[in-house]
Amino acid sequence: MHEADLIVSLFTRDQGKVKGVAKAASKSRRRFGGALEPMTHVRASYAERPRQELARLDAFEIIHSPLSEPVDYGRATALAFYAEVLEETLQDHDPQDAVFRLLLAVVEQTQVNRFWMPVTYFSLWILRLNGWLPEMTRCALCGEPFGESPAYWHPLADTLHCATHRRDGSATLSPESIALAAAILRSPVAAFASGDWPRRRAADLRRYALRSLERHLERRLTTATALMKLGG
Amino acid sequence: MARFAEPMARLIEELRKLPGIGAKSAQRLAFHILRASAADAEALAGAVRELKAKLRLCSICNNITDVDPCGYCSNPMRNHRLVCVVEEPTNIATIEKTRSYNGVYHVLHGTLSPLNGVGPEHLRTASLAARVSGGEVDEVIIATSPTVEGEATADYLAGMLRGTAARIMRIATGVPAGSDIEYADEVTMTRALEGRRQMG
Repeated sequence: MHEADLIVSLFTRDQGKVKGVAKAASKSRRRFGGALEPMTHVRASYAERPRQELARLDAFEIIHSPLSEPVDYGRATALAFYAEVLEETLQDHDPQDAVFRLLLAVVEQTQVNRFWMPVTYFSLWILRLNGWLPEMTRCALCGEPFGESPAYWHPLADTLHCATHRRDGSATLSPESIALAAAILRSPVAAFASGDWPRRRAADLRRYALRSLERHLERRLTTATALMKLGG
Repeated sequence: MARFAEPMARLIEELRKLPGIGAKSAQRLAFHILRASAADAEALAGAVRELKAKLRLCSICNNITDVDPCGYCSNPMRNHRLVCVVEEPTNIATIEKTRSYNGVYHVLHGTLSPLNGVGPEHLRTASLAARVSGGEVDEVIIATSPTVEGEATADYLAGMLRGTAARIMRIATGVPAGSDIEYADEVTMTRALEGRRQMG
């Protein structure tokens, strides 16, 4: 490794997360150009060597770059959020086709002033695909459906509870957000593309999903904090 | 590290903290300093001491300087109504090399970087807003890198300065001079086409 080399995490469809070295990438843009920007979809040529932890990255051909569309701080934060979550949740060489498809879909929807919806969608689905999403329609303790009542969640627990069984210090999930979560879990992200999705919409659901992710990862996500500061 | 005398081990340890310096490089540098004359070693130590003692940030543009305001901000020959915004002080040298820019600068000391926890509150943008809203600036050129973080920063600055009298400009991006367009990626080529100019 040299100072100008970059260690890059690739999320590949066939082999899952692959870490590799992009030689001299921080000094010269000739070989990789803008292909090393986070969340760039590329056709990658790389070589894995026996007894070497890092692959040798040879060339990237850009299929789609986030720089093809305008970028603002919100969109950049959303893209960085996907990157950080994947870096933390994926294991090396463990293909995750569902996560790959999820990522392609949400990145496409993540646009300037239109990123809260894909961030919410991604957060909820990444919880589900990792097996971390609890039953969201009824109280985990008594089994009572939430119906038109809010659900309660505690920062130190996975499950949702009714008003009777909530713990002290719980936060709420509105009935609208619970219904939205159910819709998200049965519809493609494109189904939500046409609707208006201001910052405040489903902010409680997003907060629940982000905190849940952080609890399972046992660390604070830098980008989740940035999203919260943006009003998420 | 224990096999070295204590002063040598200490110097190696300190050198290892520098970027790009590993254990072997640190040893090599430490032995080079040991073999150098006392005057050379003292000159190196003095330069490091002086760097920390004398250098500060320009109170106008945030460039690193030993005099305040810096050489650019205090130069009456430069156009003070034209401000180029850069990420780091090192970017100034790159622009100065062109010899085609005669305005002054504003250094942000970073870009918006959500992955590294750098938000708008961490950049030196308030002093830029104050400079521009004071009405003494005609044009601001945002010269952050054409990366996701650089573009996000440029967009943030443009939004912050919107409503002031100054014209907000973004540096052009496209095919590098001397390169072959055959090897340009799609984003670069798209931007080169968008930024085309009329000839004749």
